[in-house]
Amino acid sequence: MGIKINALKCTNCMACEMVCSYHRDDGFAFLSACIVAYRAREKKDYFGVLLKEEEVLIVARPEGLEINKIGEEADPDKKADASAKPMLLREGCDLCEDMDDYGPMCIAFCPVDAITLD
Amino acid sequence: MEYLSTDKILVIDLGTGDIEQDEIDEGLVQEKIGGIGMTTYLYEKYEKDEPIIIGTGLLSGTTYPSSASGQITAKSQVTGKLCHCPVIYKVGLEIKYSGFDYIVVKGKSDKPVYLWVHDGVADISDASGLWGKNVWESTDELRKFVGDDLLQTMIIGPAGEKGSNFAQVCFNHWSSPDRFGFGKVFGGKKLKGLAFRGMGMIEVAEPEDFVQRSLEILKDIKENSFLGNKGVGAMLGALKEDGMGDYLDPVTHRHSADYFTPYATNTALFLDEDPGLLPESKKDEPGILVSDIYALAAFKKLGLSVKDTGLALKACAKYGIDPFAVATLCGKTTLADITGSFDTIRGEVAIPGRGLFTSWCPVRPIFNDFGLSSEDETLAWWERRQAVAMIFGIQPMFALMCPEITENNLLELANLGTGLELSQDTLDAVVQHICG
Ligand code: SF4
Ligand code: SF4
Repeated sequence: MGIKINALKCTNCMACEMVCSYHRDDGFAFLSACIVAYRAREKKDYFGVLLKEEEVLIVARPEGLEINKIGEEADPDKKADASAKPMLLREGCDLCEDMDDYGPMCIAFCPVDAITLD
Repeated sequence: MEYLSTDKILVIDLGTGDIEQDEIDEGLVQEKIGGIGMTTYLYEKYEKDEPIIIGTGLLSGTTYPSSASGQITAKSQVTGKLCHCPVIYKVGLEIKYSGFDYIVVKGKSDKPVYLWVHDGVADISDASGLWGKNVWESTDELRKFVGDDLLQTMIIGPAGEKGSNFAQVCFNHWSSPDRFGFGKVFGGKKLKGLAFRGMGMIEVAEPEDFVQRSLEILKDIKENSFLGNKGVGAMLGALKEDGMGDYLDPVTHRHSADYFTPYATNTALFLDEDPGLLPESKKDEPGILVSDIYALAAFKKLGLSVKDTGLALKACAKYGIDPFAVATLCGKTTLADITGSFDTIRGEVAIPGRGLFTSWCPVRPIFNDFGLSSEDETLAWWERRQAVAMIFGIQPMFALMCPEITENNLLELANLGTGLELSQDTLDAVVQHICG
């Protein structure tokens, strides 16, 4: 089981990033999120979502999903984003196993239901 | 101030180069709440230094839905009044996470400077290399210099440097809600702009209850059928600006939202690229992000094609000039004439009501009717709604759409977040002081 992101539905609001970080930190920050709204190509209006799982980095791009095994070279033409690098050091998605009242926080809080359980 | 706060006010004197940091007294929050309650207080405190006050709402950057906005409070040299401009996109959020709830910019520099605010520290930096550059070049250069594409900026372009009454403070590359000529105030201080970046942490007094209530409010919000829409065209449609959807369709790329905001209030138009393109464009500047619905409608009314409207909006954003003022005051009807008129535009843009809040926000509800009937009632509701949104840090356009954003639940979450006991009476007093 994992989470599935529909990057075309995503509006780049960062709610998932905030609540994911909250589930680890108990405060408001963006430091520990393993899901990140990538937004560094602002002038090109190119955005989607990055998700770090235990061994893979999933890049949910508008044109489709890309799954990169952590440690392997990514396609140099498709540099994920400035946000990808620090994410590699963070803990992977645990499906918010400790958040009994919510289940996966990013799914609960995504305002446009762009994230679902797979 | 321990919770929902960085506990810091930055006070910068551009004249002397002094930089100080003050703590935020809990008693002051109990009295002024936050956002424009506090920026108004700080303006009054430092009034003789003709300050610009930049701030965040008490709930900005939290899980309260649409807690996206910050504020710029200053005296408009155009209207002579103290005015409040919302800080939108993801810029308001970054102010708080860069380490400060409020920033007071006093005095005047004698050479161009920008303020670099990051991780709880601030520097006054030389901007002589940026002076003369447009908004896009300046933001790009700052991001390159710092090596971080997520750097958020408030920046002026040539319009602000030249002292145009219609100069905007732009955010990143984009036009802003500034109808007050705040770009001229920045320019008069030789302040090219501010750059924000930070990875701070905001503590919450009752985190579990705060987040639980945030989710309940979000679920109620999601019951609204208007959330089936996205972008500026649908907003204009709801405001009875007919034909906007069809007009925009051929160039609409995607819609995006401000931080944690359930409705995507921004629409990107692709002007030099296939709008249906999903992969990243190979072009550096394929289009323009639009949040100013009235500027868009006003360019359409001049008879411009949608592509020329997009190009006019892009030229305004680069020059740092209010696109609505350009469209309504330039007296031209071709793209070349319009973009050639920036330095010669004269006239006035009407500011509604008491002149405190921006007409970038429609002076009526969007999508919902909020049970309002007369014009007077609507104007009074609008001013209060704008004031409350900017006290708490709510995206001000979304506040006009969504009845589930209530004063009651804003106060409730503010109290859960801070551990204070802010009451309706306190809020009424703060609004009364702001609105007079
Ligand atoms: S399920 Fe939880 S841990 Fe996984 S990405 Fe979503 S919020 Fe983060
Ligand atoms: S919460 Fe949903 S819409 Fe917002 S950035 Fe995450 S996936 Fe996108």
